[in-house]
Amino acid sequence: MVTLAIAKQTLDDMLRRKVLLILLIVTVGMIAIGPSVSFLSPRESSSILRSLGLAMIMIGGLLITILSSIQVIPTEIERRTIYTVLSKPVQRYEFVLGKFLGGLFTVFVMIAAMGVVFLGVLWYQEKHLAAEMVKGVMLTFFQMMLLGAMAIFFSTFLTPVVNFFVTFAIFIVGNLSSVTESLTNNPNPATKIMANIIHFVLPNFGNFNIQNKLINPTVEISNENVFIMQNIVYALIYSAVLLILAILVFDKREV
Amino acid sequence: MSVATRRKLIMALAPLFLLTILIQHIMDPKIAEIHKGEHTVFSGLSNEFILGPMLGLSQAVAGLLWIRADEFFDSGDYDAILPLVRMVTWLDPHEIDVYITGAWHMSYNFTDSDQRGDRRYIPAAQKLLEEGYENNPTVYDIPFEIGWESSDKMKNYIRAEKWFRIATTLKSQDSSGHATKSAPIFVWHQLAHSLEHQGRIKEALAVWQQALAISNAKLKLNPKDFSTRNLRDTEEHNWEINLKRLYSRYTHEINFAIDRKMTKSFNPQTGQPYPDDAYIFTKGPDAGKPRPAATSNPWNCAFNCHPVFIQPKVLMPNGQFNVGNGARVTIELFDYDWHPEKLTHFTFDIDESQTIMWDQHSVINGKWGRKIDMSRDPTMYSFSRPYYWLVFYFDPRQTSPFIQDKFGWSGEGMTDKHYLWTVKSPIPGAPPDRILQKVYKISRAQVLGLEPITEKDVVPNAVFAKQEGEVFP
Amino acid sequence: MPAAVSIQGLTKKYLDVFNKSEITAVDNLEIDVEEGEIFGFLGRNGAGKTTTIKMLLGLIFPTSGTATVLGHPLGDTATKTQTSYLPENPYFYENMTGWDVMDFYAKLFHISEPVRSKRVKECLEDVHLDPKAWQRPLHGYSKGMLQRIGIAQALINDPKLLFLDEPTSGLDPIAHSELREIIVNVGKKGKTVFLSSHQLPDVELVCSRVAIIHQGKLLTTGTINDLTAGEKVEIRAEGKLNGALEKIKSMADIVEVNDTHIRIPSADERNVTDILDIIRSAKATIIAVMPHRRTLEEVFVDTVLKEGGI
Repeated sequence: MVTLAIAKQTLDDMLRRKVLLILLIVTVGMIAIGPSVSFLSPRESSSILRSLGLAMIMIGGLLITILSSIQVIPTEIERRTIYTVLSKPVQRYEFVLGKFLGGLFTVFVMIAAMGVVFLGVLWYQEKHLAAEMVKGVMLTFFQMMLLGAMAIFFSTFLTPVVNFFVTFAIFIVGNLSSVTESLTNNPNPATKIMANIIHFVLPNFGNFNIQNKLINPTVEISNENVFIMQNIVYALIYSAVLLILAILVFDKREV
Repeated sequence: MSVATRRKLIMALAPLFLLTILIQHIMDPKIAEIHKGEHTVFSGLSNEFILGPMLGLSQAVAGLLWIRADEFFDSGDYDAILPLVRMVTWLDPHEIDVYITGAWHMSYNFTDSDQRGDRRYIPAAQKLLEEGYENNPTVYDIPFEIGWESSDKMKNYIRAEKWFRIATTLKSQDSSGHATKSAPIFVWHQLAHSLEHQGRIKEALAVWQQALAISNAKLKLNPKDFSTRNLRDTEEHNWEINLKRLYSRYTHEINFAIDRKMTKSFNPQTGQPYPDDAYIFTKGPDAGKPRPAATSNPWNCAFNCHPVFIQPKVLMPNGQFNVGNGARVTIELFDYDWHPEKLTHFTFDIDESQTIMWDQHSVINGKWGRKIDMSRDPTMYSFSRPYYWLVFYFDPRQTSPFIQDKFGWSGEGMTDKHYLWTVKSPIPGAPPDRILQKVYKISRAQVLGLEPITEKDVVPNAVFAKQEGEVFP
Repeated sequence: MPAAVSIQGLTKKYLDVFNKSEITAVDNLEIDVEEGEIFGFLGRNGAGKTTTIKMLLGLIFPTSGTATVLGHPLGDTATKTQTSYLPENPYFYENMTGWDVMDFYAKLFHISEPVRSKRVKECLEDVHLDPKAWQRPLHGYSKGMLQRIGIAQALINDPKLLFLDEPTSGLDPIAHSELREIIVNVGKKGKTVFLSSHQLPDVELVCSRVAIIHQGKLLTTGTINDLTAGEKVEIRAEGKLNGALEKIKSMADIVEVNDTHIRIPSADERNVTDILDIIRSAKATIIAVMPHRRTLEEVFVDTVLKEGGI
């Protein structure tokens, strides 16, 4: 109950932040103007509409996740609101989980809003429900969940500015999972070891990018739904690892 | 938090983390599947486009680049488009229209001042399309485009046939990209035409029959589909026209007992069945006898030309050809050391030191040839080599049916004292082609008009003919 | 009566990374706070008051020493249900309304409806927050109103022990005195208040006992009465003293004399009888003999000056 109360308070607080609302409005606007790119062939404009829509949701989700997750704990400390919370019978792990869940709810609301607009635009343009796209939006959400857990973990011991760069850098490296994967077969042993470390230790955000499959249905992946489930399980377990680390660090942290 | 709880949490970390590694290991092969064909090379991307691919947004960046390319098309900034085509197809190897548009752009949009195409781009364009096919092996569009350009641009009907055949086995995408339906029927039409152009008429007829069967099956499902009805009628018409020509040109080859039955179909104009004796004289002194084959009448082509460089790099062919108005003679001028490019991969950089000129001139009243001015486009015609091939030729298979009617699909009735050559087809069982060709080897000095071109420059036994796999000439 | 707070040798050292030296913020502190008293915790800015409170609340961890709060060791969550804390210059979730923020804090104490709404209402009334402001977001609140919310949230769990860190700083005089009253009322309900402040007049008015710390060290502790009780007496007389004046001057530091009046502002208690005898024997009239009380401020300044050695 305490965790949920903190999560709800965080969500309420986030949803009132102008920065996040502006971000949401801008991304939704970008998705909505997609159909104006209509000078291309139907197949091209359909694939561009899809790829740009998914990209906007990812970028919007990324900024919202990073902006909310890296600040959510440091702001409490900076504004000293954390004293009023932690001096009450609140366990520190409840605080960390509550803040994480609050950020996650925020990201969920934002991504869901963008997703609905995106599907609406596709509906308007193509007169049928592009249900496949839900998979992409859903995986973006889980990608952001993992990213949020990572940002929360770093926020327990890094300043927001440092955290921003670290999180963003790891997100980029983690997005190159198809590159690091191919490098694990590199003949050079040093490269191979490095690639294996990066590939298996850093969270692989690239796993969640199935746009290629969604935009180009001729790309075949065997057992697509199994792959999506694996991704979700990966995100959940890896987030759990990061949150446990965050709790362990925060438990010893002086605020 | 108690020490015991902390210890439990720390103990839980290791198995959980190992689990993520395991899942990653399971997922790895599929990640490779998803990103197959994508290039992760960012060099050459401008700043605003680098971040996108790094964030896993290759497709979106490809889309944005392609929108940019479209602006360049509008503004006529053609040179800027090729690098974009390269990047877009690297970032999103499934943008089929980009391969096609890019190749079309290379094959057709680079021209000299007189709208003669820059054929140095053709091998690269074909290579780009082949790369596109490798990345999209289930969709018909790109093989069809290769076939089309092979036929229309290169007049290489063997190559065209090969790719049209591939296209007929593939699927067509709907607007959302799902490849579910079979390739459209016009792929079969083009396949048939590519066979007609090789003189392989019976095979062409078989393809028209296939197309008819497909269209009729479609019509059965949906009798009110007017576009299918139109296509069906076209197929029927083409099939019959082919039969008719086959009979009028090659009556000596016809086994009337069998083939006449094939003509028992309906005339699309009148709706009446053709009379059985359509290819038998019905009036005059030969009434009742079969018509003689068009190919059995010798036709003296009297083909010749006397090329003159009237100014530096300005060629005046001065040709003769005894044929109906509208036949077209092809003129090629290219580096003596030029070999059909064996490109291993696509590149949009062409060798600017190469010179290749290709033109076609119509025969009017037995004469042909107009001024070919290559002096205004030094980047296309650098003439940096010491020697050049200068080729004049006529291939009956590339010409219109009313010309073919004079001496057959493969020039069976053509005669010429000097320049008639018989070219064997590499396809077993396909008829040989008879072409008119006069080949010169000329020097740079002659191109510049410093020395005249004489009959001594004619290379007696050189014949250029198209082979499958060659993309030029 | 058991101690509400018992601090034994509490020490907090910070590592100064830049100078590679240690800073001792709280140095071997020993304080006992009795249940039911309003205890003043005095010190200049940076004396270690907030650090001490944060250690007591488990927000930071002591380098050495221990303490018990309501009988529980440090960091025990059970303590927190019975304590509350008002930080110095607190910011609350400024996008939330006064009511919502109180409701949120009540949830942290596992108080469920309908009790929760009742508690929130009571607390907001206790701090005299204008009901019209209850449904307004906090960013529209004045500093005094925010401080009332601060006190209200500290009362939400009906705590036995309140830690108030500079509750009156930065308030206008009226808000100031109202807040002081609220704290006195809290004390009247039998709650223990641990009041950290350098607003000495306030402390003097509301606290029963104080401790003064300087540079992390405890300088003195005691009841206000004990600390301010003077050992000096003021004597006033009328009449000519003549030769007796020299005698008096040898016994008191300051002696003010004009034509007919004499004033000895701070005579030592032990000498008072002697001085009075001298005055009487000189046939002068004694007008007044008054015990001299110091203000807490004087005590504070004296203590810090003398023992802190600034």
